[in-house]
Amino acid sequence: MLELRGLTRRFGTVVAVDAVSLAVPAGQMLGIIGRSGAGKSTLLRLVNRLVEPSAGQVLHDGVDVTALHGRALRGWRRDCAMVFQQFNLVQRLDVLTNALLGRLAYQHGLRRARVLLTGGFPAAERARALAMLNRFGLLAVALQRAETLSGGQQQRVALCRALLQAPRLILADEPIASLDPANARLVMQALREANRAEGISVLVNLHHLETARAYCDRIVAMQAGRVVFDGAPSELDAARLRAIYGLTEAELAAEAEAAAARPAMA
Amino acid sequence: MSGTEVAAWRARLPEAFAPPPRRRLWRALVAAAFLAWLGWALAQFGFTPARLWQGLSGLAAILRLMLPPSPGALWGDILRGLAESVAMALLGTVVAALLALPLGFLGARNLVTATLLRFSIRRLFDGFRGIDQLIWALAYVRAVGLGPLAGVLAIATADIAVLAKLYAEAIEAVERRQVEGVAAAGGGWAERLRFGVLPQVLPVMLAQALYFFESNTRAAAILGVVGAGGIGLQIAERIRVRAWDEVAFIILLMIVTVAAIDWLSAWLRQRLIGGRR
Repeated sequence: MLELRGLTRRFGTVVAVDAVSLAVPAGQMLGIIGRSGAGKSTLLRLVNRLVEPSAGQVLHDGVDVTALHGRALRGWRRDCAMVFQQFNLVQRLDVLTNALLGRLAYQHGLRRARVLLTGGFPAAERARALAMLNRFGLLAVALQRAETLSGGQQQRVALCRALLQAPRLILADEPIASLDPANARLVMQALREANRAEGISVLVNLHHLETARAYCDRIVAMQAGRVVFDGAPSELDAARLRAIYGLTEAELAAEAEAAAARPAMA
Repeated sequence: MSGTEVAAWRARLPEAFAPPPRRRLWRALVAAAFLAWLGWALAQFGFTPARLWQGLSGLAAILRLMLPPSPGALWGDILRGLAESVAMALLGTVVAALLALPLGFLGARNLVTATLLRFSIRRLFDGFRGIDQLIWALAYVRAVGLGPLAGVLAIATADIAVLAKLYAEAIEAVERRQVEGVAAAGGGWAERLRFGVLPQVLPVMLAQALYFFESNTRAAAILGVVGAGGIGLQIAERIRVRAWDEVAFIILLMIVTVAAIDWLSAWLRQRLIGGRR
């Protein structure tokens, strides 16, 4: 179980995440919605410590994640894989190596030294990565540079990287905001599949309430860093949404879409 | 993952496990050739541990003589030399930057469509770049006599070609749409250059000139050694009479000066380029 206790993050005078407390049982698929700037991204980054909290705690199965450092922190990041909106692949590395990055935290001692020095992963790891790439229809491009791939392909590579971490938790930050509908469906189904078949908890930021309803067990809505709704998808109806944001679902989606398109152009 | 599965994947996509044998052989050959050359070159230059050790102890002896640094009796000469070096660097860089500006425009592919002209100008830059500042300084000392003038000319001549090449490349990287906007408003080629190209490249050019000023301040110290004015002459004289404590003092002063210029030019760059907000 993942537990957030009074989690807060300030950037200067702006409070991005404001005293958020949440308990996510193992194996849950949690959708987080909210307008751009509501603190969804920061919340996910706080969980895997890409952003340090100003106050509050993250606990996983009773372990205080916010107190980890060094090797233990690397271990935690391996256990909670992250999927980014802009994929965050290393463009000049080939697809196979990008996927193998998910195995980095499993290389210790001499093997780690060898990987660092030569970039050469053990054959068993390569085979494992190839099997994963094959699952996502990426075998044909395994030896191409990541930069030659389309956005949808790149996000599938990023998913392979995440799943190869053999995580207990997946943090997905707007994973489908830069994708076409077909790839978006594929990515959401893969997340759902990982959640259902392997019992991996998933925290996913989404801007389409509709997507969150279709795939998630539970929805959290954020507004100005605070959790303003937490419940089953069926409870978040049009009236409730209007009360929270003063917008209809369509307006909310359109606004978020426009905001999500901006970083994609940069 | 079991051994048979790994073997199956290896059979299916061998290239994912290791580069093909021919490429591996080729890499090994290149690596061996490089190592052999390196060993041979080191041997040719008498690179033995004994000599390195000897050199180190010699260096240590000099370091001991340097402590404590002392300004000596000729304070005024040192400061004048330092000021002269900075002035040489500044003048040389300014002259080089001004002359490089038109040359850069002439060497830019997107502006000069006469291939032959552009090609010969670019090759001329390349030729000039092959000659080091120190060589120019030696030549100018013979031509215009000892002193800072030779230094300024050496710095300017050596930098014109390099700056012109960098400027040409900056000009080639301008965004065409902005120039097109000026053309569409009825601007001729002069207007396009002045209002379409120049605003885009000027900050880059200034930044590069400032970097050159920094590195020229360091280089100007050496030019004095061959008689082209500046602090180098003072250093050379003191090394000749083994006044290492005074040499150390001058070196410290130079470090402070270069750091100050570094800081100043960083601030200037920020002011000139960071004007977006």
